[in-house]
Amino acid sequence: MKPAPFEYHRPTTVGEATSLLADLGHDAELMAGNQSLGIIMANRLATPDHLVDLNRVEELAGVDIREDEVEVGSMTTHRDLELHDELREVLPILPLAAEQIAGPSVRNQGTVGGSIAEADPAGNYPAALVALDADLHVTSGDDGDRTVPAREFFIAYMFTDLAPEELITGVTVSRDPFPAERTGMVFEELKRAAQTFPTVSAGTAVRVDDPAADAPEIEEARVALACVADVPLHVPDAEDAVEGTTLDEDALDAAADAAIEDADPSPEMHADEDWKIELAGEYTRRSLQTAYERASNDDAPDN
Amino acid sequence: MIEFSGEFDSDHPPDELWNYFTDPDILAQCAPGCDHIEQVSDSELEATVSVGVGSVKPTFDVDMTIVEADRPNRLVMEAGGDASRNSFEAVAEMDLAENADGGTTANWHAETNVSGLIASLGQRALGSVADRLVNNFFDDLEDLADEGVPAESKVSAKPGATASLEE
Repeated sequence: MKPAPFEYHRPTTVGEATSLLADLGHDAELMAGNQSLGIIMANRLATPDHLVDLNRVEELAGVDIREDEVEVGSMTTHRDLELHDELREVLPILPLAAEQIAGPSVRNQGTVGGSIAEADPAGNYPAALVALDADLHVTSGDDGDRTVPAREFFIAYMFTDLAPEELITGVTVSRDPFPAERTGMVFEELKRAAQTFPTVSAGTAVRVDDPAADAPEIEEARVALACVADVPLHVPDAEDAVEGTTLDEDALDAAADAAIEDADPSPEMHADEDWKIELAGEYTRRSLQTAYERASNDDAPDN
Repeated sequence: MIEFSGEFDSDHPPDELWNYFTDPDILAQCAPGCDHIEQVSDSELEATVSVGVGSVKPTFDVDMTIVEADRPNRLVMEAGGDASRNSFEAVAEMDLAENADGGTTANWHAETNVSGLIASLGQRALGSVADRLVNNFFDDLEDLADEGVPAESKVSAKPGATASLEE
């Protein structure tokens, strides 16, 4: 099927884009990398009267690594993150999340902001950003700029805090909790086939006190899971279970149990509810283990 | 058929809250995605409501009928809506009771049949979104009551009406 007729707008600045949104309101849809919206429109699940294409808004694309934080523009593509060597040094979870999204053609077009705005519970960035406790930045013509913690942004299945006239400009992640030399990060997915959506995924970060020690102690842990609830699932009890430990079996068991307790997945055709709950525990365990290994040995490769 | 239910606590007593639930102007302000509400008769309302999940947001022309209006205890409404390639019918009932703090505890329950494309989203997706929308509605209504925005009960039950969904 082809999409219903719509009027196409191609602003070149954020200001132009937000004033278009302010004028058009509910009748308009923002288009970023167009890796999901086009399909939805071609099936006429969505029939917006106006499409506002952000691909020429250059100010929205790019990665800025500052001393205290990393800023990623909303129109940065998955491919840009995947290939960003410096980002892989300081915040590897984002390149790791990016490189596992679909296939190369999707990654060339798909964007960070598009993924966040779509808020599919299977999405990689939502879980990674919830794990990192990132801030999302949004703007609108009438109300100006607003910052929303990623942990508050995702409200329900494909349902976010974003108002119709708002656009996501980017995300910032504080580098302070994650000094590269003492931190290990993981984005681990289970996929039944290459280039499909994951059945479950885990975004995990671990900071240790002394990476050279025989059994370093975990100072801080972050765990978020995708695909096991109707929003990216932050699992603070799993973090509490391993912080202050050397990640022994008891701590791992407790962390996995916490994830199992919090998981509330929708069954899928190939994965029933019970199995997905079990996977939530297993991927919490695995991702913590790998993150801990990476944190504990600065010579280890990041992936 | 999909069923939803929930509970809502208000600081305002049932008799005061009743006016808000039965004032079409208040409903138009609080109902998520509501463009306008028009009162057709004492017990019938027409509304245009745009609700959706992400990009999928059909605009429904909705007809509502007040089936029971037992002030300030119980309100039952029947509603049906059509949008391009989507439709729904629903029965919603709400019981209000004064709670220990002198406020109100409202228990609500709704049953709906959804057909068309939005039904393909599945019960879980619709359920989590519906919860959010209903909570927004109650929060907005409570805010208006807190601000003391005047509300006037303008609807009554349609004589002899009963509500049920066709299976």
